[in-house]
Parts: sequence; structure tokens; C-alpha cells
Amino acid sequence: MKRALKIYLRSLWVIVCVIGIATAALSAEKVLRMATTTSTDNTGLLDYLAPHFKADTGIELQWVAIGTGKALELGKNCDVDVLLVHAPAAEMKYVQEGYGVDRRQIMYNDFVFIGPKNDPAGVKGKSVTETLQTFVAHKVSFASRGDNSGTNKKELLLWKNAGMAVPDKESWYLQTGQGMLNTITIAAERDAYTMTDRGTYIKYAANWKGDPPLVILVEGDASLRNQYSVLAVNPTRCSNAKHDLAGQFSAWMALPATQKSIGEFKLLGKQLFIPNADEK
Amino acid sequence: MDYLSEGLIRAFVLLFSGDAETFSAVFTTLKASTMSMMASLVLGIPAGFLLGYFDFSGKRQIRAIVDTLLALPTVVVGLFVYALISRRGPFGDFGLLFTIPGIAIAQTILVLPIIISLTATAIEGLDRRLKITLLALGARGRQIAMTSLLEARYAVLIAAVTAYGRAISEVGVSMMIGGNIKWHSRTITTAIALETGKGEFAMGIALGIVLLSLAFAVNFILITLKRKS
Amino acid sequence: MSPGQIYTLENLIYSYDGTFTLRIPEFTIPRGASIGMVGPNGGGKSTLLRLLAFLEAPDDGTMYFDGVRVDPADASPRKHVTILLQEPYLLKRTVFENVAYGLKVRNQRTHLAARVHEALSIVGLPPADFAHRRWYALSGGEAQRVSLAARLVLRPKVLILDEPTASVDQQSAFLIKEAITTMRTTFETTLIIASHDLIWLNSVTEQIYKIYDGCIVGYAAENLIDGPWVHDDDGLARRILPDGQRIFTATPPARETATALLNPSDIMLALEKPAGLSARNILRGSITHMTMENMSDKMLVVVDVGTLNLTSRITREAAESLQLLPGTSVLTIFKASALHWQ
Repeated sequence: MKRALKIYLRSLWVIVCVIGIATAALSAEKVLRMATTTSTDNTGLLDYLAPHFKADTGIELQWVAIGTGKALELGKNCDVDVLLVHAPAAEMKYVQEGYGVDRRQIMYNDFVFIGPKNDPAGVKGKSVTETLQTFVAHKVSFASRGDNSGTNKKELLLWKNAGMAVPDKESWYLQTGQGMLNTITIAAERDAYTMTDRGTYIKYAANWKGDPPLVILVEGDASLRNQYSVLAVNPTRCSNAKHDLAGQFSAWMALPATQKSIGEFKLLGKQLFIPNADEK
Repeated sequence: MDYLSEGLIRAFVLLFSGDAETFSAVFTTLKASTMSMMASLVLGIPAGFLLGYFDFSGKRQIRAIVDTLLALPTVVVGLFVYALISRRGPFGDFGLLFTIPGIAIAQTILVLPIIISLTATAIEGLDRRLKITLLALGARGRQIAMTSLLEARYAVLIAAVTAYGRAISEVGVSMMIGGNIKWHSRTITTAIALETGKGEFAMGIALGIVLLSLAFAVNFILITLKRKS
Repeated sequence: MSPGQIYTLENLIYSYDGTFTLRIPEFTIPRGASIGMVGPNGGGKSTLLRLLAFLEAPDDGTMYFDGVRVDPADASPRKHVTILLQEPYLLKRTVFENVAYGLKVRNQRTHLAARVHEALSIVGLPPADFAHRRWYALSGGEAQRVSLAARLVLRPKVLILDEPTASVDQQSAFLIKEAITTMRTTFETTLIIASHDLIWLNSVTEQIYKIYDGCIVGYAAENLIDGPWVHDDDGLARRILPDGQRIFTATPPARETATALLNPSDIMLALEKPAGLSARNILRGSITHMTMENMSDKMLVVVDVGTLNLTSRITREAAESLQLLPGTSVLTIFKASALHWQ
């Protein structure tokens, strides 16, 4: 028995080493690993830009689409080389704490409040603060991401700016903990309102062939701007991070030609992003 | 309900037109699950054999642990493996995160308890008369062990097929460790999760049908093997 | 311990689970013998067989095998002894592979196919038909014969069979008997057989021991006389032997086909019919063989009476005074009341 066990453990070790060697060989080519958010990925912008990026620089862009919180975490753990997220406050803190460097804003779109077509809460055209006050006053069903994503952080910021506490424990405040499209679907099922980025809403509306149960009711408020930025993972902290490739990506995204492409990117016939790498 | 029928039609279109994304997901699934199956068989069958064949102190406790691991949630395994192969983790330098081998490793951990437990059960389930017969025919220690394993081969094969079914249909681990990167680490199951999340139900159903076909093939083998034993 | 003995057991003690104990003060088995064992289940039969097959080691006492003292740590006696279990058990492979297994394990691969085919022929399974059959495509009797072939092919010194005919059909039982008898006559294989089938056992063995409550309590050299029994007018029943002689019994049987038991001690032997005899049965036959009965120190004389083998138990002195030898024509004398029913 003991001898059999020894042979077994030895072969185990051999297998582990073989895997190690095999995978070490894999990470040779010019590959840039990026963490971004599900809403960004869902727009299809990256699918659109990546081939151009490869043609121009020879770098293959691979991205993992997850929530903002997780994306930032991956950066902290040095599992990716660059981030494309939309949570400015968190990003700046990130840079301050030394996890990210070379933050560069690239483009923005906006958030909108959507709700049932007949707008039972009557918030159409109101300001953000008024809308939130209405929700609280009438206990209107509202679906929140509740997942630490960029969208979620924006929503929480809006509550804060309106001088109100986040109605965390209220029964009408539905924290789904899921992606944007899922959250919208849940809101539709429950006849609730929700806050979403325009891009995801356009996609959602298209699925309903232009006649979705939830429509845009509140938009245009300055506080609803959704700023996208590129951050490189700090090479000092992460020796394996491909900092130069990340820099090339960041620079490429800010190029006039790319910025123009971003502006021309249409989601189902509608413009989605406004490039602003040259702002401020 | 009509996205179901729409999805069914779309499924056939995707499959027979050789849609690149679909087949990329299929091959990724096959690559990852085949790797994990090889690894778990090589590691699991001997372990299961040792566990089932010999008597030693602590045998029952180890068996209880292995059987408990059968209920490991995939998300937990995903987190555990992430902690190991993340750059920050002990095996970070191997660059396994977001790769197919990374998925395979995590799937192996998930599937290993199945192989070990079912192999041990197969060995323990061997007829008591086998050992006497082998002794009567003059076999000794190692010969008896080898022949016993051979006698249990059908039950062990069933264990392998069961494990394979679990490996190809799991999504938690593939998502967390693979990252669902298009063309690179997107498996059938993570693609389904993504597409349904995006509202692309037709694509989701199409991939679901492919997965079911794979699972059906697996079960078909299982039925044929069960008859033989 | 004499060279003619293949097994000698001295003061053997084996305890099972702390409750049951097998105790054998002295027991020998001659080489080339065919001995049977009977007794109730749980009485120690199987245990003794396992000890003789070296599957277990005794707790105390000494065993000698083929003249050499058996050391529990030494596995070499096992090479010469093989046991066949009650229920047929085959490996999950073809018939050929099953029979070849023992040879392959011993690395005796020369003329493998020929030897396997020979073994299959001995048990009545034509190789052309059976060699490629898979383990599940056999009847119980065929499977048991394959198991037997797997052991015969090894040419063991001792073949132990535990209820070999219990799970098989009649034809297989017959073929098994033929096979093991061939082994005995051709290769001097010692046979040790445990069976509940007394009739079959009697036709195969020379000496039957009874094991009861962990001890060898004697021999079961009972004569078994089967029917058909025909009722007579005077209240007796008789059995007509092929050569015309008759056996009478005082108490008629329940069924025509019942088997009568006759204790060997109740049979007298004489060269001529004695005067003033009250016994109803006086039958002539010729002696086939004579053995010493270890337990009682008497002689067992087997007489062929019209193809029926009757065993008589007499003293050595009586045998000497009558000058009995195998082949001698004698009269077997016993009362009609000596027969009793099972």
C-alpha cells in the first residue's frame, strides 16, 4: 500500500510540472489582457475595435467582461494588464492607492432612468433629484444593480448627491446583484423603474423590436454622464503586467482616427458613445 | 414561448452553417473537458483503487471526505482555483488564469471526487469470490490488485462517463477561471450564460442543443457500457 | 508423518470470530486419495477446506504438506493446491482467457493454447465451440466446468472442491465427476470434496468424513441404495439388481424412488453361506477395494454386488482370517431390518 501511494504521489507531481511547462510556453505572443465591464462588452464596441487595433499595432486584445468591482480586483491581483471601466471615483481612488497608473478618459455615454410605458410614478422629464424623491415618497418599485459595478456606483452617487440615504432595506428597492440586461428584464417583470446606461437600453429595446415595456423617462441630467476611462495596471506592483502594450492601447484609443470610429459606432442605428479623450 | 421555436430553427442554422463562434465554443468545451478528464482519470483511478482496495486506519474518514466533496459547488471551486492561479497566488507565474488549461485544472478538481468515489465503490463492489478465485489460481499481491482493477473496468468506465457529463455541463468554474474570453476561453456553457444574459435566446438555445447532443452521446455510451457489465 | 501422506494435520485449532472453533487433533490425507466431507452448514467444513487450500492459517497446531512443514508466511504450498468454489465464478473475459489465467500468472506460456484446449476437452466443453465464448454466455453448469478447467490446467497436486455440483445441472455434475476422476488417475491429483449430495459423493470418493461442531467426528461410509423399490406380498419391499439378485427391506419406503441407508457395520462378509442365518439378504459380489479406516482402525471392504457398491466394515483380523483380497468373491450378509430411510 505504501509503495503504491508513493508511486501515485510521484506521478501527481510529474503531471503538475508538465502542466506548468506547457502553459509557460503559451504566454509568448503579443497579447494584451483587459478587464472591462459587461455593459461595455455587450455594446459590441470592443468586437468592433479589436480587429482594427490588431491591424494597427499587431497586438491581440483579449478581454474579460465582468462587473466593475471584479475588474478592479483583477487589476489588483495582477491578473490583467489594462482596465476599461466607467467608475471615475473608484478609478481615482485606485490610482491613488497605487493599483493603476496612466488613467486616460476615452469616451462617455449617459445613464437614463427607464420605467413602465404608462409611467405610473409620473417622473417623466423630472430632474434626477426629483425622480428619486418621488420613488421614496410613493414607494415605487425600483430595480438596482446592487453589485458594485460602475453603473451601481453611479446610482449610489446619485442618491448621495440628492442628499438621500440609499433605501437599502426598503421592500420596493430591488437589488438584483446581476448584470444590466438582467436587471432591466427583472424590472420589466416587476413593472419597476431602473437606471441603466443608454447602450444596454438600446440593445434591450431592439430585442423587443423597438416596442419594449420599459421606456426612457428621465435623461440629459449632467449627473447622468457615464465616463469611460482606460487604466494601466501598475507595473511596479505587477512585474508581469504588459505595461508597454497597455500604453499602446491607451494611446491608440485616444487617436483621432479611433475617436472618430468610436463616435461612428452605432448600436442598432443609434450612436452610443461620445469620444472625449481630448477633453480638459 | 416563441423564442423557443425561433431558437430551435436558429440552432439548426448555426450548426449546419458552421457558425464560427458556435464551433469555437464547442471546441473550447471539448478541449477543456478532455484535458480535465485525462487528468482526473490518471489521478483519480489509482486513488480510488487505493481507497477501495486496501484497509487502513482512517479509511472511512477519508472516504467520507471524498464523498462530501462530491457536493462541492462549482463557484466555490472556481474561487479556490482563482486564489491559487491568480498572479497574486502561489501558482500565478504559470499564467494559467483565463486559459483553457486553467479551466481544465479547475474542472479536474471538480470532477476528481466523482472518479475517486465511484472507482472506490466499484472496487469495493467486486465480488468477494474474485479474490479467492485469484488466490486459487495462484495469483499474488500485485497480480491480484491489477486483475481486480481490470475486473471492475466497466464500473470505472461508467464513473468516467459520469464525470465527463459533469465537466462539459458546468458553468461556474469555466466562467470564473476561463473569463469567457471570445475565441479563447468561451465554452458552450459560458457562451449560453452570456447570450441569455444579452437576451440572445436563440443563440443560447442553439448552444444548449449542442451541449445536449454531447451529453446524449455521453449517456449513450453509458447505456451501452451498463448493458455489458 | 509418512511420505505417502499429502496432508498431515496435528493439533490444529482455528477460531472464527471468537465463537466457533475448529479442533482437529490428528488428520491425514494420503496422496492421490479422493476423500469427501459431509456435515451441516456452519459445522466447519468450509473452514477446513480453506485451511487446506492455504487461504487461512490456523491459530495453533501444525500442518505438513507433501512432507514439508507449512510456514504461514511461505506462500509456496499454494502453488500446488487449488480450490473450486460452490458457485461458478468467472473473470469478465472469454472462456479461453479464464482458463489461461493461472498459467499466465505463473508465466507458463509454452503451448498455452494446446493446454487450454486440453483442459476444456477434459471437462466436456469442445474448445472450438467454447473457447471464444464470453463469461456471460454460459449456463451455470458450463461456467462451473470452465472454472474447473482453469484449475485442472494447472495440474495441481491437490484439488479441493466445495459443493461442486450444488449449482449445476445433472449432465455437468456427471462431466465434473469424469474430469476430476481423470485428473486423479492420470496425474495422481488428490481430491478433497465437500458435498451435500451424498450419492454423487459416494460415487467419486473412497472415504467420507463427517465434520460436525468443529470436529471430524467420523466417517460417513454409509451405503446408499437407491430404488426402484417394489412392494412384496409379505410386507417387505425389494430392489432388484441388474444381475437378478434382490435386496429386501423390512420397512417399505414412502416413495418408490427413495434411498435406503445401510451402515457398513451391519454388513457381514463370508465366503460361503453360513448355516442358521436369520439375515434375509445374502448377496454375492466381488471385492473391488479395501481400505483402513483411520478413525476406527477397522477395514472397509467395498464389494461390487451386481454393479452396486456395498461397503462393509470388518476387523482386520476377520479380513485376514477370510483371506480377503480385492477380486475375491464374497457374500454380503445383512438383515432386512438393517436398512433405514433418509
